[in-house]
Amino acid sequence: MSYTPIQLLENWILRQASDAGQAWLDTQREAVASGDPKSLYLAFGFAPRKIGKADLELTERDLNDAAESRPGWQPQTWTIDQAARVLLLMSLPSEDDAAYLATIEKLFQTAEIREQICLYQALQLLPHQELFDDRLAEGIRTNIKTVFCAIAHCNPLPMELMSEPAWNQMVLKALFIGAALDPIEGLDQRVNPELARMLIDFAHERRAAKRPIPVELWRVAAPFADEIALEDMKALYTSGENLEKSAIALALVSTALDEADEILKTDPEVAKRAESGDITWRGIAEQAYASEN
Amino acid sequence: MKFIDPHIHVTSRTTDDYEAMAAAGVAAIIEPAFWLGQPRTNVGSFQDYFSSLVGFEKFRAAQFGIRHYCTIGLNSKEANNEALAEQVMELMPLFLAKENVVAVGEIGFDDMTAAEEKYLRIQLEMAKEVNLPILIHTPHRNKKQGTYRSMDIIEEHEIPPHMVVIDHNNEETCEEVLRRGYWTAFTIYPKTKMGNERMVEVVKKYGAERIIIDSSADWGVSDPLAVPKTGNLMLERGIPKEHVELTCYKNALAAYGQSGQFEESDWLSPEPIDQRSLFEGNSVLRGGQTPRVDKPEDDRIIQ
Repeated sequence: MSYTPIQLLENWILRQASDAGQAWLDTQREAVASGDPKSLYLAFGFAPRKIGKADLELTERDLNDAAESRPGWQPQTWTIDQAARVLLLMSLPSEDDAAYLATIEKLFQTAEIREQICLYQALQLLPHQELFDDRLAEGIRTNIKTVFCAIAHCNPLPMELMSEPAWNQMVLKALFIGAALDPIEGLDQRVNPELARMLIDFAHERRAAKRPIPVELWRVAAPFADEIALEDMKALYTSGENLEKSAIALALVSTALDEADEILKTDPEVAKRAESGDITWRGIAEQAYASEN
Repeated sequence: MKFIDPHIHVTSRTTDDYEAMAAAGVAAIIEPAFWLGQPRTNVGSFQDYFSSLVGFEKFRAAQFGIRHYCTIGLNSKEANNEALAEQVMELMPLFLAKENVVAVGEIGFDDMTAAEEKYLRIQLEMAKEVNLPILIHTPHRNKKQGTYRSMDIIEEHEIPPHMVVIDHNNEETCEEVLRRGYWTAFTIYPKTKMGNERMVEVVKKYGAERIIIDSSADWGVSDPLAVPKTGNLMLERGIPKEHVELTCYKNALAAYGQSGQFEESDWLSPEPIDQRSLFEGNSVLRGGQTPRVDKPEDDRIIQ
């Protein structure tokens, strides 16, 4: 039995909402469906105080249903008000794509932080989502890390919609602001020489300034490693911390370069763990950002 | 001691101010929408300003461990541009329902014109509709008349005084404002509104019930530490600690807490979801602690 995203959101809310909260949401969805933007603006704002802000209690099965209903959808960090807000957005009449876009855009322009997080995660489920590529590119210009992560992490839309320059900026900026790369959907599929060049320059710049280099960088840079990158990796593989060595080993193993083998030989122990699958990018990201979890 | 500054325009202040406020014990602040010094000529300017009050500025304050709230409203000075004021009224529903909007304000009189009165009344009705408290700005000039007239209008609209904070009081106005049952706020602002030695005398004379102290620090010569400085001065001059807590923390909490959007637990023990969205997983700021600002030994060195 497969479900639509709307059915899933409805079920998840039904499980957790109070009767009053549920009744409020049903009423508001009807009002929004009548096409009045003002009722959407108010209901969108009031959702947390009417239905609460609890995390959705999702099972493994729920997450599988989600991925089946919308490939790439990962609602594990969603909250109940977020789910309610998305249902409100999906209740808005959408036959006229320009009008729909304008109303959603107005919400983006006037959103507070949690609303921005909700909106950027919501887009993947909305009608006319393909029209929001500029909005995504604008979104990653934010300085608010949690908003950035709502776009970059656990979200299939950047992979599907972003132009290569916007995608490259997103990955580079993630490293700049200390956001993990591993949760970016399509990270390995969308590697490209231009992105690798930017990352290699960045790593080199950081080494010159004696500042640490984010370890996940090598995952995206290694497929296009040039002389400079190999030299940096070699130096760090010799002198770096354990986590850095693990990341470089994993990056080198994934390339088929002869030079990579030469570097790996200098510490065969770590190389072996990288080859055997003992070290994974997910594990590295978890360790690198452990203090944030 | 923890402090709330329930009226401060931090958009105009620096990160040094935020660091100093956090170090002095300021846990939460309210930023009322107001006039920026430069008159706005487009509704878009208002939209972006309101958006920054609920968005970026809240985020910026959180980086220093300070919880930021705001009030939304059309200030009296700019209510005189009627064509613009009309458009701002249309914007209000987009913002009044936001989390962290704790009142409609600051609204009231500046020149006491018909337009100012019209938009004061419209916004009083909006506040009733969404059940939010109201923050009233009283004028610099003709203060007494402006203050009394504001209260008369509020009473005409049948808004109970416990839902209203009347701000920028002085020795001349506070007695009547207190008598009528309003929250009575004083702004400690160098050379124009109140000095804090005068404030000590006011609390000695009237006690602490319904009296609120704020800084209104903005783009002018003002002091973002006015609340902690005044609190400490009151303690030094023999005002009981409970009175200091009421005027510099608890009364503001009670007045604006009526919005349902302003609770002590927000900064004493933030919900995990709020920590996730606001503090970016910064463990230093968990549990409402103030951030540790590392000062280098030698301040000529920039790391």
